[in-house]
Amino acid sequence: MGDFLLTMPWAVVLILLPLVGAIVCFLWPKNVNQLGLVTLAGVFLSVVGLGAWLLENGVYHHAVGGWNAPLGIHLYADGLSLVMLGITALVGLFVSVYATAYFDRVQSEQFWPLWLFLLTALNALFLSADMFNLYVTLELLGLSAVALVALAGGKAALNGAMRYLLASLLGSLLFLFGVALLYHTYGSLDLAILSEQIEASPTVWMALGLISAGLLLKTALFPLHFWLPPAHASAFSPISALLSALVVKASFYLLLRLWLELFWPISGSVAGLLGILGVMAILWGSLQALRQTRVKMLVAYSTVAQIGYLFLAFPLAMGAGVTAWNAVMYLAISHALAKAAMFMAAGNLLRFGGHDRIADLDQLAQRLPLTVAAFALAGVSLIGLPPSGGFIGKWLLLEAALMQGRWDLAVVIVLGGVLAAMYLFKVLGYAFTEASTPSKVTAVPVRMEWAALLLASGAILLGFLAPLILPLLAIGTPFDAFSSAQEVMS
Amino acid sequence: MEALSLLQWLIDGLIGIGLLWLAWRALFCPELFKAIVLFIAFGLLMTLAWVRLKAPDVALAEVAIGAGLTGALLLSSWAKLRDFDANKGMGVREKNRVQSEQKTKRPFFHWLSATPVLLMAVGLGYGVLQLSPYATGLSTAVAENLDASGVSNPVTAVLLNFRAYDTLLEIAVLLLALIGIWSLEIRPSVREATLDPVLDLLARLLTPLLLLVSAYLLWVGAHASGGAFQAGSVLGAAGVLLILAGWRLPLSLAGLPLRITLVVGLSTFIAVAVLMMLDRGQLLAFPPSQASLIIFVLETTATLSIAAILAALFLGSRPDHSEKI
Repeated sequence: MGDFLLTMPWAVVLILLPLVGAIVCFLWPKNVNQLGLVTLAGVFLSVVGLGAWLLENGVYHHAVGGWNAPLGIHLYADGLSLVMLGITALVGLFVSVYATAYFDRVQSEQFWPLWLFLLTALNALFLSADMFNLYVTLELLGLSAVALVALAGGKAALNGAMRYLLASLLGSLLFLFGVALLYHTYGSLDLAILSEQIEASPTVWMALGLISAGLLLKTALFPLHFWLPPAHASAFSPISALLSALVVKASFYLLLRLWLELFWPISGSVAGLLGILGVMAILWGSLQALRQTRVKMLVAYSTVAQIGYLFLAFPLAMGAGVTAWNAVMYLAISHALAKAAMFMAAGNLLRFGGHDRIADLDQLAQRLPLTVAAFALAGVSLIGLPPSGGFIGKWLLLEAALMQGRWDLAVVIVLGGVLAAMYLFKVLGYAFTEASTPSKVTAVPVRMEWAALLLASGAILLGFLAPLILPLLAIGTPFDAFSSAQEVMS
Repeated sequence: MEALSLLQWLIDGLIGIGLLWLAWRALFCPELFKAIVLFIAFGLLMTLAWVRLKAPDVALAEVAIGAGLTGALLLSSWAKLRDFDANKGMGVREKNRVQSEQKTKRPFFHWLSATPVLLMAVGLGYGVLQLSPYATGLSTAVAENLDASGVSNPVTAVLLNFRAYDTLLEIAVLLLALIGIWSLEIRPSVREATLDPVLDLLARLLTPLLLLVSAYLLWVGAHASGGAFQAGSVLGAAGVLLILAGWRLPLSLAGLPLRITLVVGLSTFIAVAVLMMLDRGQLLAFPPSQASLIIFVLETTATLSIAAILAALFLGSRPDHSEKI
């Protein structure tokens, strides 16, 4: 068994398995739910296998086609990729279970192939070490995400999907333009080779600007977030969960990876700008969330705010190094769990009452206790209360800020938590009161309630798992490029 | 010699100015139909530009996909929009036009969005001028390994061997696009194609010719410009022509048989990838002695799938839609 774990090419399985699953679901739509769940289980086990392999051997390299870089494409996995793959498989599994109860027959026939294409794109993106290949995965990711948003049909979803499509395509084009400039200058698309050769020049600055702008647009960092709330709020709830938890994280991961590998040595000074945008995202997203009257819009704006936190690490990393990156990764995975759970809970409310107007939530705490508990637990992590994954992330981030005397950022970190508490208690408060106009209710399948609750509990559980997850993250020292810069500084 | 280079400069200059002019006209043309025709003209001129840049493979792809199929897709969307307007009565359209005109006539927002675009254009211009005129590129590495690739056309070697993994994912993107469009549940067009004798004759004459051209492009791809994407789009164009002439896939073939044709390219690619993984321990690592055959099989199946996908994209609605209702 141990041998089997260490000899299977798990990374390759992670890319091909969901792709095969998508094709099979497309060809024989009769048993899509079973086929899909088996695929997800397989992907989950493969991540475990890859984790065991990485713990034993360090980083993973695979030269596709037997061609070494720069001619061929390399697959690459370290702790950073592993954690992203892991959170994707985990959230994906729970959302899939939820989806089997959420969608009717025709909808699930449409949902599964698209979702498995999305999963293929996510896994391929986390495993790629080649700039052009990364572009192809971004295309696959963007297109499947847009198609999933459009599944809901109707004016709002189609409008949201169209806006999303245009933003996503523009982001991909900017990224591709930057890749072309890098390829022209260095004659290679391989990340490792580029990271050795890259040095500051007007062309590289241009590439940095284009690539970062493209990825920021896809990550929906303020002020490029305009497409996110309509797309995430109008999609079907399990799809909103996937988009908010995983898809925006994928472009963030890529941005982080490229900055660490390529751009850090030449652009430490621009990191401050990302920090400022992050601060504005926290404040703007939270204030907008406070103003919303519908649960899903509120949760979508909360995503805008939480994305801001991820960018606070950029100005802090210069002095705090690994702590800042650990903080940001912890926030990213906690947010993935909590936000997926929250959108699923919102889906339950919608199914139950037929609406998600906050003011008419009508004593849901008594009538749908599991769902309200899921919402509250996810909220605990988003606010950053102990003991939760969000708390660990914010604690590490605060530590990094205070270490360098960045009181301004520390204040924003705390203020963001307070604002999150305000908008989330607004929802929870109405869940306890009686609405003036009672509405007709529909039963919510048990599976949908438990899936949301378990994921939300996962976000809390993360608060205890730091000693387990931080060493995983350190495999292959993905944040090393940065610590060496730090040594030079000190 | 002198006169020749002057002539070339003149041609290049005309192409460059023409491209900018057509792009500008296409963007700002108030009539949708005219804008689409201008866009197709832009694609054709772009093809010439690629020829002048000595990139015949890109030129072929541009003319077949950029100008041809994209143009056909845009025109068919235009026709659908027109039918939609006709059904709803012109009142709605007029109202929309008035509204959109009111919206676009806010010069402040025009300038607000124009500023970052202009800044970017200046920055890009500066960045491009800083580039060394000769790219280091990978052409030497490609040339050195060409013998082991199984084909003698370097473009095909890169697409189907050195970077075959990219192509695998690209074919997945194409299939995904179709599945995404099918999931929108577009109703099949109510208007039956009127029997046009000229179109009918044209389809009868051109279809065999297009089949032949497609087969040739597929075959020639191994050692000259051509290959699966070009062959597939020519074959897809034959499908579009047949659809225009009123031909529809028999319902017995519109279910699983069609779906299998759509995925056969991607499935073969995956099967080969897995086989090579089991055999040689590396994804898509072809043994040099058999690479030629493997690439031919991959390209043939990919051509079929690409053609089927492109023709299905043109049709828009699922061919087996009627039996579902």
